[in-house]
Amino acid sequence: MERRTLLGGTIATAVLGLTFGLTSAALAQQPPIKIGMSMAQTGGLAGGGKASQLGIEIWRDDVNAKGGLLGRKVELIVYDDKSSASETPAIYSKLLDVDKVDILFAPYATVPTAPLMPMVKQRGLLLMGNFSFQVNSKVGHDMWFNNAPWGPADSWAASFLELGQKAGGKTVALLSADQEFAQNLAVTARDVAKRMNMPVVFDQAYPPNTVEFSSILRALKAAKPDIVYVASYPPDSAGILRAVNEIGIGDNVKIFGGGMVGLQFGAVMENLGSLLNGVVNYNTWLPEPSMINEGTKAFFEKYTKRAIEAKVDPLGYYLAPFGYASGEMLEQAVKAVGSLDQKALAKYLRENEHKTIVGPISFSADGERKESATLQAQFRGVVDKNIDQFRKPGTQVILFPEKMKSGDLISPFEAARK
Amino acid sequence: MKRRGIFFWIGAIVFLVAIALMTKLIGNEYPFFAGYVILQFIVLAVAWSILGGHAGYVNFGTSAFFGMGVYTAVFLFKVAGAPLLVQIAAAAAVGALMGFLLGLLTLRMQGIFFSIATIALTIVIETSITNWRYVGGAAGIQLLRPPVTWPFSGYVQMLFFVQAALVVLAVAISRYIQNSWIGRGLQALRDDELAAECTGVPTLRLKVLACVISGALMCAAGAPAAMYLQYADPSSAFNLNYSVSVLAMSLIGGTAHWAGPIVGAILLGSTQQLLTVTISSEINVLVLGVMLVLFVVAAPEGLIGLLRRIRRKEGKS
Repeated sequence: MERRTLLGGTIATAVLGLTFGLTSAALAQQPPIKIGMSMAQTGGLAGGGKASQLGIEIWRDDVNAKGGLLGRKVELIVYDDKSSASETPAIYSKLLDVDKVDILFAPYATVPTAPLMPMVKQRGLLLMGNFSFQVNSKVGHDMWFNNAPWGPADSWAASFLELGQKAGGKTVALLSADQEFAQNLAVTARDVAKRMNMPVVFDQAYPPNTVEFSSILRALKAAKPDIVYVASYPPDSAGILRAVNEIGIGDNVKIFGGGMVGLQFGAVMENLGSLLNGVVNYNTWLPEPSMINEGTKAFFEKYTKRAIEAKVDPLGYYLAPFGYASGEMLEQAVKAVGSLDQKALAKYLRENEHKTIVGPISFSADGERKESATLQAQFRGVVDKNIDQFRKPGTQVILFPEKMKSGDLISPFEAARK
Repeated sequence: MKRRGIFFWIGAIVFLVAIALMTKLIGNEYPFFAGYVILQFIVLAVAWSILGGHAGYVNFGTSAFFGMGVYTAVFLFKVAGAPLLVQIAAAAAVGALMGFLLGLLTLRMQGIFFSIATIALTIVIETSITNWRYVGGAAGIQLLRPPVTWPFSGYVQMLFFVQAALVVLAVAISRYIQNSWIGRGLQALRDDELAAECTGVPTLRLKVLACVISGALMCAAGAPAAMYLQYADPSSAFNLNYSVSVLAMSLIGGTAHWAGPIVGAILLGSTQQLLTVTISSEINVLVLGVMLVLFVVAAPEGLIGLLRRIRRKEGKS
């Protein structure tokens, strides 16, 4: 009897152990959750694309260290889209039809993302957007969620022009590059200026690759505007600031900047140094007390180390934390829904507010932020050739939005430059 | 000669039937997306070599023609919702007209000066489109495809078949040119334009004709790209990459025979597609560069030239 009990007990334990062993082995062997995307590794958008990808990779490592999603590891499948729109349809078709990914992340920026929108709409797929601008306005896909803080299309220009108006500005000058992003900004700036009853006294679009801006700036100066709204790309942003430094912009300019791409990237900022002083420009995340939290501290500790190895932007404020936030939002949605059902995930993302390292995020019907969280910040006390100064609070004082404000505008522009 | 012609047409029909069967039998869309790009490059490379290969006029303006094709389709689709075939036909007409004007340029320009003028053409057209708000301007334009036409199950499959038909058309034209008085005349003017003119070859007429045909085919190849991407923006449509790739494809394949650009486009096009989804980093640009250098050094007359050389050697031994 005793022997029987012992035998029975041994068998039961063995069976139990085996079952448990099998189950845990099955868990460990469960296929990973695949997240697919294309990202610019070459071409004009590569600098931003690589930084953004590093942010997403840090999230992947964090989530895997916590045991993954639904007990499965998270794996990223990333291909180079060469910064071009013509590459992405084939890449995303490969991700979906050959690699059989579970979730799609969009590539960095508007141009590579635009051809994907009809595709994901037709197939009814969730797409986590990555810093594109108004890419869903015509397509109207209800499973699109952009991680960028842009908000409503006109809020970008509105925040800058309102700051100018408060400082006593009455007339506007627009200077914009003849390229996709800059033109989108210029169009909204014209509308907002009209709505605010501020006449546009100077409106000039310059061709891409312009290097010499002194003649354009002389013409702008002659129009004597109070507010100068600039929508430019990295090489032109540097050219414009150099020209401003050489010939000045006039004493009546209250506020200068707005939509200058490039002044968010470490290398450009280090290079321009003191020429940045006084410029008020858009940004997404800055190391000001109003934005730093435990999450961002931990994130940038990892980012700063890995950025050297990955040879990407040493600061990484502009894109990387938002790549991480995309992952965080997905993580919350998957945990809440308990599956990878795309419709259920989209419903959750649309209806809830999500806690991320870059602050709470909630979406409006078009998949853009409900409220704009695009910052307008003024460069102050910047010295030449020192990248570490930008890691400290106070070099870029946040003027907008009110919630994150860390200082007041210094105006006029000429006074702020000193 | 006649038997060869029959073989060619049987081959073309078998090719089109195989493509049609593919659209029916393969459920996965990726081969069509990737295959479309390769077919598009075959048309472009074959079209390029009509002027660049036979006549020896190096055209760097492939992207101008391609982009014009894209925007002709965009314009017609926006203004009247024109169907795909109308878009392609109209693009071919626009390309022919552009080719005619380019052909007149050859009156005064030869060699490197002609090549520079074609780059200038790309810049002028791209700048004009960038400033034309109706077709999206610098910001680009999104297009939503109309429902697919019978007998195709998906739009990409249809585009794949249409591009394959364009391949057959382009190759047939190129083959005809090579074997006819036009090809012989073009070759004569490539070797020495003045001597050709003196011996009675109508050089200007032939050059204009080559430009018109080449331009029409390039524009026609660009037209379906609007519906393929469902988006058009000037920097992608007029990307200089098209000009460089097409030139490389023709040179790698060899310009002495009509099959050269096809071989080059298949080789380089598939390598590009393969590298995009395998290495997928800066290295893939490097690999293409190295390939080009190797071919220029080891096989200056392209793969077809290399093959001929090997055959000749075998014949001697």
